[in-house]
Amino acid sequence: MNAAQPGRMMLMLLVLPGAGFIFLFLSAAIAMTFLQSIGLYALVGDSRLTADYWLSLLDKGFLDSFLFSLKVGVGSAFGTLLFAYPLALFLRRKRFGSRTIGSIIKIPLFVPALVAAFLILNVLAFNGILNSALIGLGLIDRPLRMLNDTFGWNVLMIQVWKNLPFQLLIIASVLESIQTDIEDAARNLGASPWRVILHIVLPLSAPGILIAVVLVFILTFGDYAITRVAGPVYPSSLSVLMYTDAFTLQQWGIAACIGMVIIVASLGFVAIYARAARVIEGMGR
Amino acid sequence: MTADAMTLEMPRRARLSFGRFLALLIIALLVIWTAVPLFMAVMWSLVNPDDPWSPPAVLPPSLSLAQWEYVFTYSEIVKAVTTSFILAPIVTILSFVLALPTAYAIGRFDFAGKEALRILILLPIVMPAMVIAMFLSRVFYGMGLSQTFLGLVIGHTLLSMPYMLRILATAFEAIPQDVIDAARNLGAGRLALVRYVLIPMVLPGLFAGAVFTFITSLEEFNLTFVIGTPTFQTIPTVLFDYLGYHFVRTNAAVVSIILMVPSVALLFIAERFLKTEYLSSAFGKL
Repeated sequence: MNAAQPGRMMLMLLVLPGAGFIFLFLSAAIAMTFLQSIGLYALVGDSRLTADYWLSLLDKGFLDSFLFSLKVGVGSAFGTLLFAYPLALFLRRKRFGSRTIGSIIKIPLFVPALVAAFLILNVLAFNGILNSALIGLGLIDRPLRMLNDTFGWNVLMIQVWKNLPFQLLIIASVLESIQTDIEDAARNLGASPWRVILHIVLPLSAPGILIAVVLVFILTFGDYAITRVAGPVYPSSLSVLMYTDAFTLQQWGIAACIGMVIIVASLGFVAIYARAARVIEGMGR
Repeated sequence: MTADAMTLEMPRRARLSFGRFLALLIIALLVIWTAVPLFMAVMWSLVNPDDPWSPPAVLPPSLSLAQWEYVFTYSEIVKAVTTSFILAPIVTILSFVLALPTAYAIGRFDFAGKEALRILILLPIVMPAMVIAMFLSRVFYGMGLSQTFLGLVIGHTLLSMPYMLRILATAFEAIPQDVIDAARNLGAGRLALVRYVLIPMVLPGLFAGAVFTFITSLEEFNLTFVIGTPTFQTIPTVLFDYLGYHFVRTNAAVVSIILMVPSVALLFIAERFLKTEYLSSAFGKL
């Protein structure tokens, strides 16, 4: 890129402050999780190499939490996509109202996660505005009980509300990079707008969709605060289970195993994300 | 001829107004989707305790600032706001100092391992913060850093510097090499190049990065909760208290607004620096 490419030493020195800081503390945290999950470096009690903590994960409580987190992650990721993709398609061409829509929709991006949880809980409350509106419209007779339901609908609602702008931004930027020549050609050859979307735009934006879905999945799969505040009492999410095990039950070893499961799952999805990102970068050229 | 033009025009105009209708419908739904929850929170923060707001009423019967007074008198909010606003600038400056050289290297040079480096920088943003927070707290425990301000600074920097790094790198990358070559050909020395080319061209990215870093620190919950509380409270941990352990809707509403206003204000001020490419480089790209 640059005419004056610096030497190896100089590059190392440049990269070190930012990357070194992140590497040092991140790897320390991950190493600590791993070591404590096999019984080493326990700060309370004895330290000994053991597989007991891992074996103790083989119970229903952990499995339920794992499935719940998986459900929240997948549900949030695709639930958001259901709104984000059509909106991104609509906003693709400059048209009446697209600027207004673009700026209103960005608002939740700047609302902190806990505040988002509070806002949506308010709306969904037993005597909240949604129930009032539904009764007012004559759709239901009695208020619906939507808070702390065992399925986790309110967690999903909060996550969709919070993550919609993320996905929209990602998908919009990918849609922008698709060259319009191909579409114009298809249109000229007589393809209907729906066919163009289905057979050209959708496949070409697939890597972008993948990135958007994976990103929201990772961010919601390991979430603590929102599920703790809005989720069901049982099952709890993996992060909530991990926290309770560590701080309430003083079972740091088990908490570390749950932590490892979350870390490995996240890293796996980051790998998928990185691959999809590379494909998109290749497309832009 | 004119009749022909008419028949050609008609369906087009019909479709145009359908587009308009759709746009208006989407705008209306989005306003309900975003503005109603925000409006309800403001209303809840203004409920008059002597004149309670009960179900059939869509709006509270009378408004008062009693809830605000209560929160400011009886909660830790003043201390929490102070801590948050001391912490965030320190974290932003530290992030800038650490990120600048690394972002320059990523933005301007090609080298082996650059992609791995980009993934490393992405990790603090996408790794579930509670795991990092809990086991970093174990590491800090051994180093005597838990429940300390320095521990909070390090933890917050770890989680918010990636935004600065990624956005700054994008800004450096966006400088065309031609501009630099032209400046050199015109006799610009190293200092002049930095002062008249690099700094002005990177400045918007720097602002955007700083705003994101600042806001991330302001909104950070998991790490502060594990490493800081009960010694240090920030605005999000106070809000969590009101949402979790002792749920009081009116107080939670007040703290929510206190937490939200600075972010929204900052983003409003910084809006012209927040190009879509920075937003997407912060979240979407590798």
